[in-house]
Amino acid sequence: MADEESMIRAEGLVKRFGDLVAVDGLSLDVRKGELYGFLGPNGAGKTTTVRMLTTMEIPDEGSIAIDGLDARARVVEVRRLIGVIQQHNSLDKDLTVRENLLHHALMQNLSFKEAKKRIEEFAGIMELQDRMETKVDKLSGGWKKKVSIACSIMHRPEILFMDEPTTGLDTQSRNLLWKLIRGLNKDGTTVFLTTHYIFEAESLCDRVGIINKGRLIAEGTPEELKRRVGAFALVSVGPDGEESVSYHPDSASARAASADVPPDSSISIRPTNLEDVFLELTGRRIRCTIFPPRCSGWPTATSAT
Amino acid sequence: MYNLPSEVFRVAYGDLCYMRHNLVQTLVSTLIGPLLYLLAFGYGMRSGDQDYIAYVIPGIIAISSMNAGFSSSSQKILIQRLFHSSFDELILCPMHTPSVILGKCVMGGLRGLAGGLIILGLGMLLTPGLSLTPWLVLAMLLSCLMFSLLGVAAGLTANSSPTLMMINSIVILPMSFMCGTLFDVDSLPDFAAYIVWALPLSHSTAVMRASALCDPVDPTSVAVILVYATAFYCICHLIIKKKLY
Ligand SMILES: Nc1ncnc2c1ncn2[C@@H]1O[C@H](COP(=O)(O)OP(=O)(O)O)[C@@H](O)[C@H]1O
Ligand SMILES: [Mg+2]
Repeated sequence: MADEESMIRAEGLVKRFGDLVAVDGLSLDVRKGELYGFLGPNGAGKTTTVRMLTTMEIPDEGSIAIDGLDARARVVEVRRLIGVIQQHNSLDKDLTVRENLLHHALMQNLSFKEAKKRIEEFAGIMELQDRMETKVDKLSGGWKKKVSIACSIMHRPEILFMDEPTTGLDTQSRNLLWKLIRGLNKDGTTVFLTTHYIFEAESLCDRVGIINKGRLIAEGTPEELKRRVGAFALVSVGPDGEESVSYHPDSASARAASADVPPDSSISIRPTNLEDVFLELTGRRIRCTIFPPRCSGWPTATSAT
Repeated sequence: MYNLPSEVFRVAYGDLCYMRHNLVQTLVSTLIGPLLYLLAFGYGMRSGDQDYIAYVIPGIIAISSMNAGFSSSSQKILIQRLFHSSFDELILCPMHTPSVILGKCVMGGLRGLAGGLIILGLGMLLTPGLSLTPWLVLAMLLSCLMFSLLGVAAGLTANSSPTLMMINSIVILPMSFMCGTLFDVDSLPDFAAYIVWALPLSHSTAVMRASALCDPVDPTSVAVILVYATAFYCICHLIIKKKLY
């Protein structure tokens, strides 16, 4: 891949906290204009990776280049290129929405005049107008997230890092956020998004990296990743409730394989999803944490015999 | 190159808004301590001796510059670091390290200066011996800056509120009483006087007292304040560079 195409390039990142290796030899290459999803369960090392990529934490080993700039030597320039939405709300809770926006705009070196103009613009985009004079402390989670996002995109960053932006949001806010992320990406912003929602990685992202225990265990488009395991899953549930899953390249071979299942089992064939990929690669099911709280459009079992 | 004053203002803007929202609380908490000192020592112990009041008020101003400077910056940074991760936002912005450090001193500086001027105004009403001189204002500013820098360093290093409170009671509280603020350092036994003269607040007090009483200011004390301020600044710089880029 040509170097100028690469927006985020990390090589051999390691971060230790005492004895714990939170990120363990991670390498990444995110291209210009890509919407990259970083999928993994809680504690996998997503936040630590984002903090290193965004100059908030120094890696113990490895190197990072953002748009070709070394993140260590050219840190102020790198910070100008990026926008970051942290996992936890990092707004100043004692200030109003307007003051938070203005403070961020000023710290991004915008002039007072330009800052005021953009605040109006982004208040419109994010529908914040009625809440501009409200203290952030008094806002609900969804509104706080909107304000954080407005704060981090006001300087029109080329790369936007979002650490679990939709965790804890209701379906409506999440859909709105997805629309916004797609829009920003379409306008040319490279997006690096972490999530533990499989469905989000699958339906939103161009390319997905799966991280587990600080290591990148797979990377590719959602289609590639699923094809690697087998596009169709044959699920059989025995009379004792024991579930077993096998993967097949197409639905015909899955149907053929269903002949071998013991006769008193119930069988279903469904498209493979990224949860299956994760399960196959790690042998670990993390359904409870990795699934979204039953969101609309989730591909459920397609056929039963 | 970059515009340092502009960046300092940009960094400080959040704290300035915070002060505006909490103007009354900030002023009250800045003034209560110094007023109690004035009442207890000026009137309680010396029953309103005018010379002593003129003597002790610069000391009280020095104490309040130290307290306001240290506590504003240390507490705000600790809270922003530990509980709101909004200090990260500061680090994430393309501001240069000197701007971040000095920007975080602005609130302490303003608080200390406002408190000091109010106490001085009160003192001038109570006794004719005190005057507001340019040296005094400069000394207040320098002293606030020095202790704000110490506060930034403490806020960046402490890992909990109890730790910060401990630093406060080990470092700040003893200085309030010992550094010539309420009595003459040279009346202490020799070895104690040496220790006390090594502490920064002794020199803030000396400069403020001399300038408020229109006596000649000892340049050594000014130099000591500058050396301490530079040292505290360097510590902040090292902490930020070591923890972050
Ligand atoms: N500041 C820290 N000190 C000690 N351990 C940490 C720190 N930050 C993260 N960790 C540990 O590193 C691992 C990865 O954490 P994190 O990157 O937050 O994961 P994720 O964002 O994927 O949930 C976890 O085991 C976490 O407990
Ligand atoms: Mg996380």
